[in-house]
Amino acid sequence: MKTVFLGSFGARPGVWEAILAKTTEKLDVSVLFDLDDAQRLIPLLADAEIVVSHIWKKDFPAAPRVKLLQSVAAGLDLIDVPSLPAGVTVCNVSGHEQAIAEYVLMTMLAWQHRLIDIVAAFRGGVWSTGGGAGGGPTHGEIMGKTVGIVGYGKIGREVAKRAVGFGCTVIAANRSPVADRGEASEIYPLAEIDRMLPRCDAVVIAAGLGPETRELIDARRLALMKPSAFLVNIGRAGITDEEALFAALRDGRIGGAAIDVWWQYPTAAEPNRRGSRLPFHELPSVIMTPHCSSATDGARDRRFSTVAGNLDRYVRGQPLTNVVLTT
Amino acid sequence: MKALFLGGVAAGTYEGIREELPAGLGAVVIDDPIDRARLPAAAAEADIIVSNHWRRDYPPAPRVRLVQSVATGVDLFDLAALPGGCAVCNAFGHETAIAEYVVMTALALHHRLFEIAGEFRERGSWRTSWVEGGAPHGELRGSTFGIVGYGRVGREVARRAAAFGCRILAANRSERPPDPGIERVYPLDRLDEMLPLCDTLALCTALGPETTGLIDARRLALMKPSAYLVNISRGPVVDEDALYAALRDGAIAGAALDVWWQYPTPEEPNRRGSRHDFHRLANVIVTPHNSGWTAGMVRRRWDEIADNIGRFVRGESLINVVART
Repeated sequence: MKTVFLGSFGARPGVWEAILAKTTEKLDVSVLFDLDDAQRLIPLLADAEIVVSHIWKKDFPAAPRVKLLQSVAAGLDLIDVPSLPAGVTVCNVSGHEQAIAEYVLMTMLAWQHRLIDIVAAFRGGVWSTGGGAGGGPTHGEIMGKTVGIVGYGKIGREVAKRAVGFGCTVIAANRSPVADRGEASEIYPLAEIDRMLPRCDAVVIAAGLGPETRELIDARRLALMKPSAFLVNIGRAGITDEEALFAALRDGRIGGAAIDVWWQYPTAAEPNRRGSRLPFHELPSVIMTPHCSSATDGARDRRFSTVAGNLDRYVRGQPLTNVVLTT
Repeated sequence: MKALFLGGVAAGTYEGIREELPAGLGAVVIDDPIDRARLPAAAAEADIIVSNHWRRDYPPAPRVRLVQSVATGVDLFDLAALPGGCAVCNAFGHETAIAEYVVMTALALHHRLFEIAGEFRERGSWRTSWVEGGAPHGELRGSTFGIVGYGRVGREVARRAAAFGCRILAANRSERPPDPGIERVYPLDRLDEMLPLCDTLALCTALGPETTGLIDARRLALMKPSAYLVNISRGPVVDEDALYAALRDGAIAGAALDVWWQYPTPEEPNRRGSRHDFHRLANVIVTPHNSGWTAGMVRRRWDEIADNIGRFVRGESLINVVART
């Protein structure tokens, strides 16, 4: 069966081999990293029945035989669905939700406990930043705090499970109605998020990027949050208004943030490109990471297993998992 | 009835609980214990001493019957210098804060938070990211979390780590039935069987004859090279030289250290916590013995102390009695 691993993720060295190593069925595999290499892309897409890629561009050449587009990412925001031929099943992967939930708890804890400041000062020999033996100020804890999750999907539920273990109250806002509340004590419709935000000590953005969530957290909604509130964004940068968030953090109108997803990404020409045109890296109240909250060895293994399992299922004619849509 | 609040922490406690103290209780606050001018009279009249220490050379306190520590450890009280018939009580309220610290640092170590966030902030480096094909970091899920000392703190750690899908093992001096979610509680003398299984080892034990130097070179060598150590107990539970060598040489992957082998003095307020340069090792998270020092801990501890003073004044049974003289 003709299978193409495409693009900077699916065709990355180490990734496609690891996925293939987990498959059992026989596949006729091609690999193309550089999507601008039209000379190779045209014949590959003309023949392929399975495409493994997190990206599908509007101007891709014709792919008349493709039946399965298996992403290697959770978000489908780089897949231009209207330009897919009819009859394609699009699947994503999961398995990253536990890793991301760990990141959310880690950053909420680190911020409340002032871990980064205290460690930096103590590396310099100063005991008093951290209280305790040095007699300095106390820090916070997450016990008893209210965590508001925006987007109560797989990630949101994993966050909720762990946060409840720390004695947090979990509330959530979700676009569609939620049948099973899980660990959350209350679910707001996304349209009523304005009622949820003032209650939260931490707001966790775990939603996908779409028309309802683009710049959802704008200046007005940031102003609804507590001045002490902590914002964690592991969804997509575009869910927050870049300028409004920077201003709120700079001016101390919210307490701090952990940001893992960015408004701009590195390019070949600029590998150390900053994630924003604004200097978030100069704000001490920000814990910033380069889109790696899900990049654990465990998540990688779970994702690759999902992809490999689906390739095998497709070859065997069995029902697929993680189906997002069919064109 | 009179209470003497002695030392800086006790003075802070007094400020925090003065509204809750029984009416009619006389309180003397001596912030600085070197203030020897007021100490003899206050000690002579005190029925209750609230402090974190009592020294051999202090003036007599013949009336005292409740010695209320403002800390959990009472090792700085010279019990022989107190009159007979005293109840010595300690205070808790720190276990929540410390358990949060243990899980937080375990996460930060496995997720390589300091390396990744540090490079990204300083240089804008995406090297560690999936976006740039960086090596994956670790996670707690599915890993084995070993807890040495399954007391109040250890239990709280276990409860939180369980929510992460960790396999949880513990070792304790006295036998303890494992709570739900805990696979096994080893007797401390069989710790060597537990160590090779752990991806994270959290030291939550008290310092005593059985635990001084417990984690020595031989036991560090039993741990996985990929394992992380978190110490919130007392510095001397771990062999200082052996731990430094193991961390420097990568015999274990890293550590979070909140407790130390030496402490600041008035002459040397920024004294290093060890004779070794732990603070220069990139794989070590160093904090100044403050894992429990949260606003919530202080409030919970004050409430316990106020409660105990009230009980004593009313002649009711005390909580947290650790010794009687």
